[in-house]
Amino acid sequence: MLKVFGLLFDRWTERLPLQLRVLHRQFLLRVVDLEALSIEADIPSYLGQFAGILIMISLCHAFGLMVFPPPPFAETWGYEQARIADMQLVIGLCSVLMWDTTFPDKRDAMLLGPLPILPHMILFAKMAASASVLAVGILALNFASSGAMSIVFGLPSNGFFRFFFAWWFTLTAASAFLYGAVLAIQGFGALLLSRRMFLRVSAVLQLAAFGTILAGRFLQPWLNTFSELTNPAYRALLAWSPTFWFFALFNHINGTLPRELQWVANRAWLALALVLVGSVSSLALCYLRTMKNTVEQPDLDPAASSIGSLPRLGNSLQSAIALFCFRSITRSRQHRVALAFYWSIVFAIALSMARDLFTNPPEPVSLGLIMPTIIMMSFAVVGLRGVFSLPISLKANWMLRITQLRPTTDYIAATRRSLQLFGVLPIVLLSAALGLHFRPLTHAYQHVAFLAIFGCILVELSLIHFDKVPFTCSFIPGKTNFQVIFWGAAFVFLILGLLFGAYELQSLKDAHQYVFLMAFCMAIAIGLWIFNRLHARTAALYYDEVIPEVITRLGITLLPPSALPEETKLKTLP
Amino acid sequence: MLELRRVSKHFSGIPAVDDVSFSALPGQVTGYLGPNGSGKSTTIKMITALIEMTAGQILVDGKPIDDDLISYKRRMGYVPEEPHLYNHLSDAEYLTMVADLRGLAPRIAGERIDGMLRLLSLYDDRHAGIAGYSKGMRQKVLIAAALMHNPDLVLLDEPFSGLDVGSALVLRSLITELATRGKVVLFSSHELDTVERISDRVVILHHGKVVADDSIARLRTLMELPTLEAIFSQLAVEHDTDSMARQLADLIRA
Repeated sequence: MLKVFGLLFDRWTERLPLQLRVLHRQFLLRVVDLEALSIEADIPSYLGQFAGILIMISLCHAFGLMVFPPPPFAETWGYEQARIADMQLVIGLCSVLMWDTTFPDKRDAMLLGPLPILPHMILFAKMAASASVLAVGILALNFASSGAMSIVFGLPSNGFFRFFFAWWFTLTAASAFLYGAVLAIQGFGALLLSRRMFLRVSAVLQLAAFGTILAGRFLQPWLNTFSELTNPAYRALLAWSPTFWFFALFNHINGTLPRELQWVANRAWLALALVLVGSVSSLALCYLRTMKNTVEQPDLDPAASSIGSLPRLGNSLQSAIALFCFRSITRSRQHRVALAFYWSIVFAIALSMARDLFTNPPEPVSLGLIMPTIIMMSFAVVGLRGVFSLPISLKANWMLRITQLRPTTDYIAATRRSLQLFGVLPIVLLSAALGLHFRPLTHAYQHVAFLAIFGCILVELSLIHFDKVPFTCSFIPGKTNFQVIFWGAAFVFLILGLLFGAYELQSLKDAHQYVFLMAFCMAIAIGLWIFNRLHARTAALYYDEVIPEVITRLGITLLPPSALPEETKLKTLP
Repeated sequence: MLELRRVSKHFSGIPAVDDVSFSALPGQVTGYLGPNGSGKSTTIKMITALIEMTAGQILVDGKPIDDDLISYKRRMGYVPEEPHLYNHLSDAEYLTMVADLRGLAPRIAGERIDGMLRLLSLYDDRHAGIAGYSKGMRQKVLIAAALMHNPDLVLLDEPFSGLDVGSALVLRSLITELATRGKVVLFSSHELDTVERISDRVVILHHGKVVADDSIARLRTLMELPTLEAIFSQLAVEHDTDSMARQLADLIRA
């Protein structure tokens, strides 16, 4: 069956213009925003891993539904909302990873411009490449779960096929809406701003989109019952959340939407129409108007200013590494996007706490202060450590090797300083501000002091066997199992945090117990510091650009093997 | 004095540099020549300790460089063949970082960086990202980074690559000036005319082996050839260049 489908697909694609097919193949490999991933990344493997995770999620959902089906007549709306939000999260992440790739960049203009290719062919090929990735994402996440949902939820009501069709239509519409919205925002930005300004704003927009998508998925409540959905308190949420628009659209097509919620479904139609018109028109205008501008933009931006003189952040080595970290995080899109993933969670927690700070009266110190700040600290430090493992330019590492005039311990100390400055310090300051909402203040600030030491422990844990300069090596998307390591570590840290948090709440009420807790934590921090220092004394700094150089002799020769010198014959590959 | 004794580098058993020995003296400019793939850059990378030798010894002032690599690195300045830089930094930031890593005092580093950027005509673009720099501008940043700490040993791997005429002339004079001030200068280049003008001696490499090591005047006399180009062609160019050009033109006509 698959073979037949494959043959039919091949037949169909063969009828497409050769240029479109060639460009589509090229753009498909580059569809991920190259600036958002390391240039050394193995993108097909990375996308393969991504699809594999989605397929696993789909299978888990399907398995859960088939083996543990909900009781008859149970409200399934919350489940549907969550699945639509998952879909939007995946499509949103794809959109962020594919940021800018639908628009012509300078390389396209320079390489394809001299060739006899019409601009609309480039546009179609880019759109086809993006659509291919989105289609793979949608299929991977839903291929099993959609069938299971149609059987479990659809059969008892309006039938399998109607549910199945409505569900897939909704998913496609929701994906088109989200991706179209991203395109429209970028398109209008490109049309209204100069190319240089657009590139600057684009990076900020990308981060904002990323944060919004994550916050939308993780902070949004699910409304399970009719009374909740029609509760005036949630009217604003229904009016502004695309998840609920498409949830209503699905139920509208499936014939299960209460009349009171028809207006929400209408919003989905309206939003879809607006976004499609906006994205298509802005994209078309962009190709017509900005292709030429892209080529004509100068490479160098002479008027660019820089932050005057940044303060020295320790000795000369610590300062060099810390400023290198700061500049890499703030200027490199791949690092910003990666860090934004973790900091979005931090900010989401901080925002939800800050809301209480302004709207509710002060409350006693509780786990409501302790746990969120511990989680924020964990995500901030571990996320930063993860981002440190993203290389920025492996080929430029030679400079660090040439100038390596100090022992490894000094480099580890410099990395420690950077983790403390950009991971621990902001969370301590943020927590100190959020602590104003809690009483007594002494307890709140005792917790902040504890948090600082907890952060230092996390820093030392992050530095175990990290014999590297930040951003010079190690994690290359698609080539390591970094995600597994990270989430494993995050899980362990979280458990530790929960244990510490529960104990800390008790100890805040007892001075002796608090002193013991602090002394214990400091002992752990110092012990880890000594361990890392002792290890660094014997460790050599590692740089990833040291790749084994291999000269392969192809064995192509006009001479018969017997005429080759003995030495050559031994080294010639078969 | 820089001295290489029977230095070899094999990649997967295949020799890239084979039993190379030569020395470069203070106060002299030593030109290091060879066709593409002859092992020039590999030799220079071994001298900088970026890659390890398979066999042999590299000595500076009679001591193997491995004995005290950190002291050696303090004395060495290097311009690599490819201008790989951290593109997200500006030239001033990059040079400040190099100065910090080398432990230069901030005041001295600041003065030298400012002065070098002005002299190399990079000052106006000092806040612009290196990503937008032309190859020549990148090359200038590399030259500034290599010389900022006043090294005793200057290793230049194709330093004229991408430089405009004016900058190339400045660099040519700078190389001579550095040698005059007692530094060891080793540089590789494909610009034979420049090499002929400024080098006190040349080492020619072919298939990883040294095929000539002497002063240009002596090589001219020995080989009875008028120019360095003629000497190089005889020692290191295997093809009939005119015939090859004709074949290429024929190929695209066919």
